[in-house]
Amino acid sequence: MGMMEKMDELSATGAREYLTFRLDQEEYGIDILKVQEIRGYEPPTRVANAPNFIKGVVNLRGTIVPIVDMRLKFNCAKADYDSFTVVIILNLRHRIVGIVVDSVSDVMELPPEALKAAPDIESVIDSGAVMGLGSLGERMLILLDIERLMSAPDMGLVSSGE
Amino acid sequence: MAETHQDSGGGGDIDLSQFYQIFFEEAGENLDLMETMLLNLNLETADDEELNGIFRCAHSVKGGAATFGFADVAELTHKMESLLDRLRRHELQPNAAMVDVLLESADASRSLLARHQTGDTSPAAPTGDLVMRIADLAAGNAPPPPVAKPVAAVVAAKPATPVVAGQRQLEIKVGPLAKPEQADAIAELFRDIPGLGTIQALSSDRKDYRVFAVDTASTDDDLLDLFTFHVAREQIEIRPAAVMTPVPVAPVEDASHGFFDGAPGAPEIATAPAAVEAGFGFFDGAPGAPVSAPEVSVVPVVEVQGVAKTVAKAAASQAAQPEAATIRVAISKVDQLINLVGELVITQAMLAQNSRALDPAVYQQLLTGLADLDRNTRDLQESVMSIRMIPMSIVFSRFPRMLRDLAGKLGKKVDFVTQGEATELDKGLVEKITDPLTHLVRNSCDHGIEMPADRLAAGKPETGTITLSASHQGGSIVIEVRDDGKGLSREKILKKAKERGMDVSDQMSDADVWGLIFAPGFSTADVVTDVSGRGVGMDVVKRNIAALNGTVEIDSAEGFGMRVAVRLPLTLAIMDGMSVGVGDEVYILPLSSVVESFQVKSDAVSTVGQGSQLVKVRDEYMPVIELEKVFQVPRFDFDKNSDIMVVVEADGSRVVLLVDELLGQQQVVVKNLESNYRKVPNVSGATILGDGKVALILDTGALVRRSRH
Repeated sequence: MGMMEKMDELSATGAREYLTFRLDQEEYGIDILKVQEIRGYEPPTRVANAPNFIKGVVNLRGTIVPIVDMRLKFNCAKADYDSFTVVIILNLRHRIVGIVVDSVSDVMELPPEALKAAPDIESVIDSGAVMGLGSLGERMLILLDIERLMSAPDMGLVSSGE
Repeated sequence: MAETHQDSGGGGDIDLSQFYQIFFEEAGENLDLMETMLLNLNLETADDEELNGIFRCAHSVKGGAATFGFADVAELTHKMESLLDRLRRHELQPNAAMVDVLLESADASRSLLARHQTGDTSPAAPTGDLVMRIADLAAGNAPPPPVAKPVAAVVAAKPATPVVAGQRQLEIKVGPLAKPEQADAIAELFRDIPGLGTIQALSSDRKDYRVFAVDTASTDDDLLDLFTFHVAREQIEIRPAAVMTPVPVAPVEDASHGFFDGAPGAPEIATAPAAVEAGFGFFDGAPGAPVSAPEVSVVPVVEVQGVAKTVAKAAASQAAQPEAATIRVAISKVDQLINLVGELVITQAMLAQNSRALDPAVYQQLLTGLADLDRNTRDLQESVMSIRMIPMSIVFSRFPRMLRDLAGKLGKKVDFVTQGEATELDKGLVEKITDPLTHLVRNSCDHGIEMPADRLAAGKPETGTITLSASHQGGSIVIEVRDDGKGLSREKILKKAKERGMDVSDQMSDADVWGLIFAPGFSTADVVTDVSGRGVGMDVVKRNIAALNGTVEIDSAEGFGMRVAVRLPLTLAIMDGMSVGVGDEVYILPLSSVVESFQVKSDAVSTVGQGSQLVKVRDEYMPVIELEKVFQVPRFDFDKNSDIMVVVEADGSRVVLLVDELLGQQQVVVKNLESNYRKVPNVSGATILGDGKVALILDTGALVRRSRH
């Protein structure tokens, strides 16, 4: 179902580095190569008619960048904005997007054997966007295909037909 | 002309001279690029892309040189172009001799350009030999013989030629004509066009022929171009007037490599109507190069003075590289600079804010420093911003002279009208749209506007009009080139497309048919002139504009004219904005669309059918748009409400926007919202305010349209 291919692809390329972040109690990992920078949260300019998880747009050194609150997108219980709230600026195929997360924890290298296929479960995350689960001792890391997630039509980040 | 470029302060030539520098730089880049491409060219496997690329370089240099009146460069590059044109059509197989001669020609062009740039008035290195060799190769001959032969011929001829350099005596025979009076119009041409030369009617041995003796400095090509306004090309025969010229005829013919004795592949224009026809439809593999061949035949007499090959090389190396008065910098670097300065201004504003609470007595030095920083950052920002902003008038002012010359050359009457010259445009865009616009304006003049006589016959005013206009429209800047000429012919385009084996059908929509003219090498022009007609124009235009994320739209009605609209995104554009507050949010209105604003009186607003609101402004009812509702602005402070009305106009109609307050006017750099996000309804872009926050720019056009539905 595609999942195995994805795992194959991962193992073929060997260990990869992931940036891990927290959303509420869950820990997620994304490919470090997609991350441009990490910034503190500053209130963005609201854009009319956008879904609630798109907080608006900010000025990133002259570039207008949309900000997506992952906590709202993934229906987390609370989404507070305090001094720990951070924005991860992603660079995905020449498009720049910022995602709001509760905190950034680590950059870690995961060998292929630490990756497990995600079971088919019901979730707010499109199952195709979960690359797998990483186990680190007691901790479970949800590895996201952030590019796929961000370009999904329901993100509302790209105009339809683009 | 070359001298005036240093004196940009005044004089009638200022309009053009300010662009000399740009032209020299561009031409230099194009020649460099061509050289690189020539050197990398694989003779056996040269593909279309490479050959087209080299061709375009020569074409650009030629176009610029012709515009600025550097005739020597234009002539040489015209010849190069002719050769390259045959190469890219695969009528000739590229060989090493061609690459050599093209490289030498590039060198020679460079040294000629350097002379114009420095205003050097010493005699130029002669290019006649090069021109001849190119023509030879273009005609499909073997690599030319050593230069000694033509030189010898000319040396013999030269002392015997008491003519002013470039003046030639010709005998022109016109016919057979049903009405020989037609040919008398040719004599009128010489009267009407100053500097063309003199003409004298000679007796003709046949009734349906007219014969003239002509003394002129123009090339056969130019003459033919002029004459074809009155009689068909096939009916004109031009040959040197042997009787009047003391030059021994034989050496001249010798020097011309036998163009006059019908060498294969070099059709003599006078005797070969078939070859001329081939020239009309130059897609079908004409066996010769009708453009260059006849013209070249006169060159040896006038120009070859020495061993051009070596002289040209020496001149190229000796030409001192003139110091550039400007530097060309990548747009991305300027962008980065502007963004960084923006950041600096924000940091500075933050420092100023935080230092306000400090006691001036204690922190006097710090505060003085901050005040200096404030002033310096503002100056810096202003300087950096000014790097990019240029009014369109700079581009437009380039055209009147060019059109005047062009119209004169073609014998057409053209009025040039410009609109929206004050529209400011980013320098990066200006540089890049100048060339495409030049092509478009030339096309309009050359192919669009008809001859005065034809215009009168069609019931139009004798003088055609070409209009160039610029305006901001929605999220774009639109530059239009309009003419009231003959427009595009659907059948003609479809016919050409079929001849070229393109996939077309008669059922195609007009827009699709017009789109065909953007195909590389496509031209419906009947005659290749040095102005246009080779079909490079439109594909270059399209390519250049596409590179700016812009689009080209064509609108045409046969017999009534044509409109080409170039639409460029606002990414780099800068505009005057009016910032308005709604709730806690700030929006920017394009100042150009704001008509007036006023405080609303509650009784002035009336509703229609429980919904749409109307307000009466001086006897006119206008629809009211509440920005608060359109943009779903959250309200935290219920004391405030929208009671300011701003009248905006777009697409010819007006609406009233209801806002909380007017915050001020400022110049804003328009940023594209769509590069990282999607299109937002009623918003044309975004900008960054002084405090670093993003503000959305309203699309007044969309708001007006919204009110109509």
